[in-house]
Amino acid sequence: MAVLWSKDVTLLAAVAATLAPFASFVLIMVFTRSHPRLSAGLSLSAAGISLICALALLAGHWDMPEPIQYSGNWLASGDIHIPFGYLLDPVSLLMLAVVAVIGFLILVYSLGYMAGDPGFARYYALMSLFLWAMMCLALSPTMFQLYVFWELVGLSSYFLIGFWYEKFSASQAGKKAFIMTRAGDVAMFVGVILVLLNLGNLNILDMDNPSIAGRIPQNLLTLSALLIFGGIIGKSAQFPLLTWLPDAMQGPTPVSALLHSSTMVAAGVYLFERLFPFFSLSPHAMAAGLAIGTISMLLASTMAMVSRDIKEIWAYSTISQLGFMLMGLDAGSFFSGAFHLTTHAAFKALLFLCAGVFIHKFATNDIFELGEKGSRNLRVPMVCTVIAAGALAGLPPLSGFFSKELILAGLAGLANPLWLAAALLGVFLTAYYAFRPIFIVLFPHHSTSSQKASSASPDSGHEDAHDQAAYRLMAIPLLILAGMTLLLGFFQYPLQDFLKYQYAYLGIPADRHYGWLPYVASFLAFGGVGVAWVEFGRPGAARVGFVERIPILFRLFSERWYLDHLYRYLLERVVDKGLSHIFAQNDNKVIDGSIDGLGHGTVESGRIIAFLHTGMIQYRLLAIFVVMVLLSLYFFF
Amino acid sequence: MIVPFSHVLFLGGILFLMGIFCSVTRRNLFMIVLGVEIMLNAAAIVFVGAALRWYDLEGQAFVLFVLAVAATEVSVGLAMIVYAYRRTGSVDPSTFDLLK
Repeated sequence: MAVLWSKDVTLLAAVAATLAPFASFVLIMVFTRSHPRLSAGLSLSAAGISLICALALLAGHWDMPEPIQYSGNWLASGDIHIPFGYLLDPVSLLMLAVVAVIGFLILVYSLGYMAGDPGFARYYALMSLFLWAMMCLALSPTMFQLYVFWELVGLSSYFLIGFWYEKFSASQAGKKAFIMTRAGDVAMFVGVILVLLNLGNLNILDMDNPSIAGRIPQNLLTLSALLIFGGIIGKSAQFPLLTWLPDAMQGPTPVSALLHSSTMVAAGVYLFERLFPFFSLSPHAMAAGLAIGTISMLLASTMAMVSRDIKEIWAYSTISQLGFMLMGLDAGSFFSGAFHLTTHAAFKALLFLCAGVFIHKFATNDIFELGEKGSRNLRVPMVCTVIAAGALAGLPPLSGFFSKELILAGLAGLANPLWLAAALLGVFLTAYYAFRPIFIVLFPHHSTSSQKASSASPDSGHEDAHDQAAYRLMAIPLLILAGMTLLLGFFQYPLQDFLKYQYAYLGIPADRHYGWLPYVASFLAFGGVGVAWVEFGRPGAARVGFVERIPILFRLFSERWYLDHLYRYLLERVVDKGLSHIFAQNDNKVIDGSIDGLGHGTVESGRIIAFLHTGMIQYRLLAIFVVMVLLSLYFFF
Repeated sequence: MIVPFSHVLFLGGILFLMGIFCSVTRRNLFMIVLGVEIMLNAAAIVFVGAALRWYDLEGQAFVLFVLAVAATEVSVGLAMIVYAYRRTGSVDPSTFDLLK
């Protein structure tokens, strides 16, 4: 089928897919900022073009044995050539399609969610920028280009998290996200430079070539892999740098949906997929990645078990699912990570969009309040939330079940059973924390009669037409995403087929199937749901989680394992009082001191010289004559 | 040449010393400029005498240049004196001691 596609058409489609959102960003920012509807139309049509092109590319290259690369020389300096272009292979096309689909649906949803916001046009411009950066990142043929768009993704997410910049916490959260991911990016940049120095170029195809092991010493390879993994830790909010993601919910909910499902945090996992052969050459880096993925997964699960904020719970679940993906990838099973990334994008976007509907309607994030205000009466989002949470928990017929089972199979293949045990614990915790908020919202505590009364109260009686229209607009993407969540799991084999050429040269053994694994996993998942039911769902439940009965654990979990306190402490002690103090001293004493010394020296020497000055030009004239006479005497005689 | 060259040199030296004396001792900006003019003319006399002594026109040509320089020097010097007078209200050089 690929033969039917001429190369020009492919290139044209790739350019159109990536350029359209950027064009709309520029147009909105320059021309149509004061016309919200026109801006939204521009942005939506650009996303639509990208969507069509991405899907066409995916369909047209369904059978692609060789990656296609287009690149032009962008910069040449000495021996270093930096090409700029497109790299089309199964992984990047899949990512492009995921970003385009989710992005388009979220933009449609935002028409309802953001309606009437004063920054409507700005919102659409920034979303377009975000999509553009992520699509170009997905198609980058070199690490250099990837790094550029990596930073652009970070920048645009900073803009969007701090979208309501009048709110102090929002601008703070934006800065936190930007700075914490930057900490990882610095490590990544150093790693990329290491590769550049040793390899001479940064082409991803060259880095993924197994022959790289002969060109870079093993120690350096491990070091650069670990450093690049640092970037992934920052971007995907893994263990030491995970606290920015829960704060990032200060942005508008559709932004969270995009950020959590397919763009910002997925970029980290995508980079790992992109460089999968490179990482797999270094067993130490793989082991470190496995450990970090496991720790983040478990830590984030425990945090999600005690949170009361619906967006925060889903944010923690993102961290734990990303940790899960990294575990699968680090266990050497490439397809499981890629598949979970895809399914996760669908159900996580769905979870956030549903939460957005509730928040839009009831103006609160607290799950208990949401339950009492009657969220269960909003049928579509409620059903969708249940479906998505089921996928998150890995309940059998839903997409999450298939991808999780693949990851577990990958982990079961490892020699050390500890990883599998941790992952199974994670499955249980995930199911528990996914259904805890659902039971709380679905079965509010007060009796049904009072709920009837509240639903009959006038405020729900006459909703204005505007609200209804917004609700309907928001419901369409929800239904589509729910359909994807339901069905995506059954596309496992076609997708596996599609991705089979990716890294085929590595000879990754096909994942073995463990007959008992799906049963154990679904047993644990149902167990988690059951515990949540007993504690929160059943009539007359105490609505107190088992964690909350142990005050120490509860404090620990709800304070995010004191990670933020640790960072604050480090920031105050090491950075503020240590480094900044030294720098301030340096500034005052060395730099200012030397400049002041120069000034004082000039003034003082002028004062000394001034003693020789009589303030009388004629004396100087006389001095000149005397000197001339003496000089002439000296020269002539 | 009736007058011996040594007399011309003597006259030029006397004039030059008088110019120095005038420009160094008189407490008046005009007199300083005048002293400088006298020194220039002393040099010019020596040039003319030397030209006559060796029958060479270069000396006389030099005098023309000296006159031109003297003329410009006077014009610039007088302009500066006018400016100085406007600033301080006096032509006494001892009032210009800002650098002290």
